[in-house]
Amino acid sequence: MATVTLRDICKSYGKSETVTNVNLTVEDREFMVLVGPSGCGKSTTLRMIAGLEEITSGQLLIDGVDVTDLPPQRRDIAMVFQSYALYPHMTAYHNMAFGLLKTSKLTKTQVDARIREAAEILNITDLLGRRPKELSGGERQRVAIGRALVRQPKVFLFDEPLSNLDAKLRNHMRGELKRLHRDLGLSIIYVTHDQIEAMTLGTRVAMMSKGRLQQVDRPMDIYLNPANTFVAGFIGSPEMALIACRSDQRGTIRHNAFRSAVELKADNLPNDVLFGVRPEEVSFSRTAGMAQGKVEQSELIGAEALVQVRLGDELMMVRCQVSDAPQPGSDVGLDFDLSRARLFHAGTGQAINLVRE
Amino acid sequence: MDATIAERPSGAGSPPAIKPTRRRSLRSRIASCWLHLVLIPVGLLWISPLAWIVLTSLKTKIEVFDPEAGFLPAALNFANYPATLAVAPFGTYLINSILVTGSILIGQLITITLAAYAFARMEFPFKKILFTLFLLQVMFPIYAIFLTNFVTLHEFGLINTLPAMIVPFVASGYGTFMLRQSFRQVPAELSDAARLDGCGHLEILWHVFLPLVQPTLIAFTIISVVTHWNDYMWPLLVTNSDDVRTLPIGLGLLAKSDSGADWTRLMAGTTIVVSPLLLFFVIFQRRFIDSFMHTGVK
Repeated sequence: MATVTLRDICKSYGKSETVTNVNLTVEDREFMVLVGPSGCGKSTTLRMIAGLEEITSGQLLIDGVDVTDLPPQRRDIAMVFQSYALYPHMTAYHNMAFGLLKTSKLTKTQVDARIREAAEILNITDLLGRRPKELSGGERQRVAIGRALVRQPKVFLFDEPLSNLDAKLRNHMRGELKRLHRDLGLSIIYVTHDQIEAMTLGTRVAMMSKGRLQQVDRPMDIYLNPANTFVAGFIGSPEMALIACRSDQRGTIRHNAFRSAVELKADNLPNDVLFGVRPEEVSFSRTAGMAQGKVEQSELIGAEALVQVRLGDELMMVRCQVSDAPQPGSDVGLDFDLSRARLFHAGTGQAINLVRE
Repeated sequence: MDATIAERPSGAGSPPAIKPTRRRSLRSRIASCWLHLVLIPVGLLWISPLAWIVLTSLKTKIEVFDPEAGFLPAALNFANYPATLAVAPFGTYLINSILVTGSILIGQLITITLAAYAFARMEFPFKKILFTLFLLQVMFPIYAIFLTNFVTLHEFGLINTLPAMIVPFVASGYGTFMLRQSFRQVPAELSDAARLDGCGHLEILWHVFLPLVQPTLIAFTIISVVTHWNDYMWPLLVTNSDDVRTLPIGLGLLAKSDSGADWTRLMAGTTIVVSPLLLFFVIFQRRFIDSFMHTGVK
């Protein structure tokens, strides 16, 4: 296993730049998830690490060795594709053996031993004689992972490997991947657009948008302290409410719907800020509350309810117990959990450092 | 109340319930039959020239022109076959035909796979213009370039040699186009996977692309073999001695014998010429049909 370092990696097609100055270090045995909306450059970044796309500028190191200009087979990586990319004319066994025989000097018995071992881990021993079209989606996925495992590469690359599976199987395979990572101690770089995959699988999550890294952090840190409004909006469902407020230098935040000013400590606050609140950080007040809102609609989703509340000109979601959900149209008082509140610069969208007590 | 309601449909409905199923089975039987009613005459029509050729080749010369004689020969007369083989060296012609058709096919398969891969999967300058030129070659009738081809071969001193019949056909715009379309349907992720598995372009072509476009290759093989096996004009133009001639020219010799066409021998010759192809087709029938269904070539 190994570390992967990306230094100022850029990729441009003609004049349009799809990946800009990505700096990232993936530690040994780390599960790094690259996440972002489609077209954010995450797949391109992964393909550059794989060697399938040329790196326009910058440097790529695997275990400290510069591999920027090396062809894919000399980078000691293996990749699992979204469509599995199994060779349709070969059996599962030959799919796994093909690359191994080509890239290593192992004898056929050694190759066979590795395939049996990987098949054992992935529970596909009975499927080795079948061709891809005789396998179900989940089985194909396992064979594709097996093909990567037998190579015993320094780094595993996954390009949205679960998005072709149905919801139930996806949950199951997510668990499997987590188990593989934990049991075998793999270094993994994993691309997805699904925030749940990112949150549940990643040791760290690298959030990308418009070809740039937005934030690299542990999943819960990203969730609790997003670096900017883009990350705040992308991670978390329903998304974080961003309420446009006025503030003064001392940290007094005002909004028409607030009964009194909210006091938060920060240095050099701008005049216009966005007050970020997640649905579970708001509660309905039995008294007047910190702010006054009107319930627009309320959705009961089994264990809990999601209530949409209008706060002046803005809408926000509140997560609460089903029994606490107020009727649409009623006026409600809201309390914010200020210990988790965050402020963003209204102009740049960047998070503002608050002084926590 | 409930009982009567329940009884009525079952009591009144059961006898007519059998009738419709009978009618239906009759209808479906007719439906499947009329298809055969159409197909059998068409099939007979298609096979009749072939049957006529074989039967005529077994008749005597007198029988052919005798209006009294029936459709079938009075006695099977196999003497026409050795007699035909005596008129011209058909053995040499057969070998030449195999050599020419085989060499063209091998040459074409090599050139079209390489060209089609480049057009389907690689980026290079003037790609579009070059591909248009390839397509233009398909649109040109072969007769339009007979003269220039002849002059070129003459310059190389290849007239009246086997290569004269092979060289002009070792590349095929049509084959390149056909294969390029098939290559483009191979998912790009497969070649990515092959690159990660340590394959270069030629290995990707060999291990991934070619196995996946087998139906297209077979379809093209049939088209190419049939075209060049039966080609008459070009071999006639560039050959003038027996040792390099091909089968169709041998047939031409029979038709032009001094006393007009020698029908029995001509038909025996025709049987000899078409039988290798027919045999070829019968053996690989299923694969051929599969591949044509696959590629949508009709």
